Amino acid sequence: MTAADTARPARKARTPRKPRDRVRKASFTQALNNALDLAMDKHAEMFLIGEDIAEMGGDFGVTKGLLAKYGPERVRDTPLSEAAIIGTCAGAAMVGMRPVAEIMFADFIAECYDQVVNNVAKLHYMFDGQFKAPLVIRTACGGGFGGGPHHSQSVEGWFLNVPGIVIVAPSNPIDAKGLLLASIDSDDPVLFLEHKALYRSRAEVPPEYYTTPLGAAAVAREGADVTVVAAMRMVPMALEAAERAAADGVSVEVVDLRTIRPYDAATVLASAAKTGRVVVANEAPRIGGLGAELSARISEECFAELRGPVVRVDGLDAPIPFSVPLEDIVLPGTDDIAAAISSAAQY
Amino acid sequence: METPTLLGLYRDMWLIRAFEQGLEREFEKGNVPGMLHTGLGQEATQAALAWHLEATDTFFPDHRCHGINALAQQRHGGNGERIMAELFGKATGVCSGKGGSLHSADPAVGNFGDNAVEGSYMATVLGVALAAKMRGQRRVACAIIGDGTVGRGEFHESLNMAAIWDLPVLYACINNGYAISMPVGEGHASADIVDMVQGYGFECRQVDGNDVVEAWTAVGSAVEHIRSGAGPCFLEFKTWRWQGIFAGEFRPEAEVKYWKEERDPIMLGAEALGERGVDHAELDSIELGARDVIEEWIEFALESPAPDPDKATADVYVGWEVSSR
Ligand SMILES: Cc1ncc(C[n+]2csc(CCOP(=O)(O)OP(=O)(O)O)c2C)c(N)n1
Ligand SMILES: [Mg+2]
Repeated sequence: MTAADTARPARKARTPRKPRDRVRKASFTQALNNALDLAMDKHAEMFLIGEDIAEMGGDFGVTKGLLAKYGPERVRDTPLSEAAIIGTCAGAAMVGMRPVAEIMFADFIAECYDQVVNNVAKLHYMFDGQFKAPLVIRTACGGGFGGGPHHSQSVEGWFLNVPGIVIVAPSNPIDAKGLLLASIDSDDPVLFLEHKALYRSRAEVPPEYYTTPLGAAAVAREGADVTVVAAMRMVPMALEAAERAAADGVSVEVVDLRTIRPYDAATVLASAAKTGRVVVANEAPRIGGLGAELSARISEECFAELRGPVVRVDGLDAPIPFSVPLEDIVLPGTDDIAAAISSAAQY
Repeated sequence: METPTLLGLYRDMWLIRAFEQGLEREFEKGNVPGMLHTGLGQEATQAALAWHLEATDTFFPDHRCHGINALAQQRHGGNGERIMAELFGKATGVCSGKGGSLHSADPAVGNFGDNAVEGSYMATVLGVALAAKMRGQRRVACAIIGDGTVGRGEFHESLNMAAIWDLPVLYACINNGYAISMPVGEGHASADIVDMVQGYGFECRQVDGNDVVEAWTAVGSAVEHIRSGAGPCFLEFKTWRWQGIFAGEFRPEAEVKYWKEERDPIMLGAEALGERGVDHAELDSIELGARDVIEEWIEFALESPAPDPDKATADVYVGWEVSSR
């Protein structure tokens, strides 16, 4: 082998690129990182805890740089001990700390399910208000990238039936930052869901400290004919489907739930009553999930205003397979939402 | 140990026994809802633990720790009757009756509550200890657990994390020989829990849990060790519970006889006090005094009102109200 074999080809002269939008915009990941930074600065009693979050900055880079800024006491790496991570957060919260845990993949929450369901969520209630659990559990959820059965699940349904827990589920970088800051400020325990497919989404995220209220949905797009209620990745999909429907003359309103528990029933029901035609879009399996709850509630409370049945878009009733074409079958997509809108619009 | 200390522990052991026996009686009458687990036979270990824990320390009591809860409540709060009322599900209980036997807590006296999922607070105790360490407070966080808990993943996650972070945790493992019906040696790799714990590399000792002097001395030095910042400590108390299983007694007759007649911690305490010249009349008056106190607490619990109906949906969230029916 000669030096010439390994030498790199000469680079072509590059024409200067036009500054792209994304240079000014922050990603969902950066927005979360910025929120954690601002919160660590604000709350002396806050610390971060999780697997590979310190030096490495987390599997998705959300805690990058925070170890250097805040030190190993407040940015703590742990072994693979999900129950101990959440237990540590609960105990620390009971004495007034404000821990933020990272569970690398939401699927692994099964490892600390007992801690969340039987302790964290009930702490305030069962001890008659004597303790609070102001902790946040951040976790990466959702499919669409070939992660297979144990790295792709949407876990909100696992917690929907658990009084005491708050489930926050942002759909864009601006909300991600504001909702994370509000979650950290909150004295209730928050399960903060970060859909993996959204990490690279970008927006102009205000650099300063701001909060987005918990328990408040947002009308992401106003419309008159059909309402789509969605959260996380289903929101950008719903917005795209709404755009397509507009081309067919159907005006779609998209309600971004933002907090899944306790959810903003007033906004959801007002939109349902206004349009009289509703689609609920949800990535998790259909049975017993968010879609089931929303559909039941809307049907009960807007019966008189509804023009037809609530149409549900969900994941199929199957685990999430590895093979991408198979995964595409199991998980709902923009086409499914578009079809549901057409079906609702018939009434 | 000074004789007044031993007398104090003897008094505490009697308070625990009278509490549990009074509770058993009321349970049978139908005045105490739910399930009943008692600490009968384990009074020496419980009195020793309660003695050394300050109100600013933290303990997580298990399902047999009514006695520790009551002692802490009485000593640091002056209102032990509120533990009794909690077990009756009454408004005057420490958790307004929302917790009961398996979830009585009062942070003002260091009681951070049981978790009826046995052993789950092996994880919670880490956070309390970590907070104390981060704040530079010389406080002990104590998890009181049964031998059955050794099978839980959290048991091992906790010991590992306490070891790597040098946390101020006192693990008090009450090895009474059985988890419901499972003998400790059949359920675990060793019938001596310390054999399994040693590998975690911190201070770890086996103690005669029915000898109040030995138990008190061991807890005292463990607490001192932890307060000095030397890291966690694990104590295994070898003892035996008088309560069998719900269906009744399942253990060999000779074993029952041995523990009840030869190893009763109160009897052993009385013998030790006798050797120090304390007379029978004084010992009897301690027993009667404890029984009187407990009858007053039971009276208090019986007469207390049920919780306000609003409590059913109060405090689900801090930031949201949950609507009632
Ligand atoms: C995680 C869990 N599994 C099972 C039970 C049911 N349970 C209640 S007490 C008990 C045995 C506990 O044994 P041990 O820790 O030795 O305590 P002991 O009753 O002997 O004092 C079991 C299995 C439970 N409460 N929690
Ligand atoms: Mg046992």
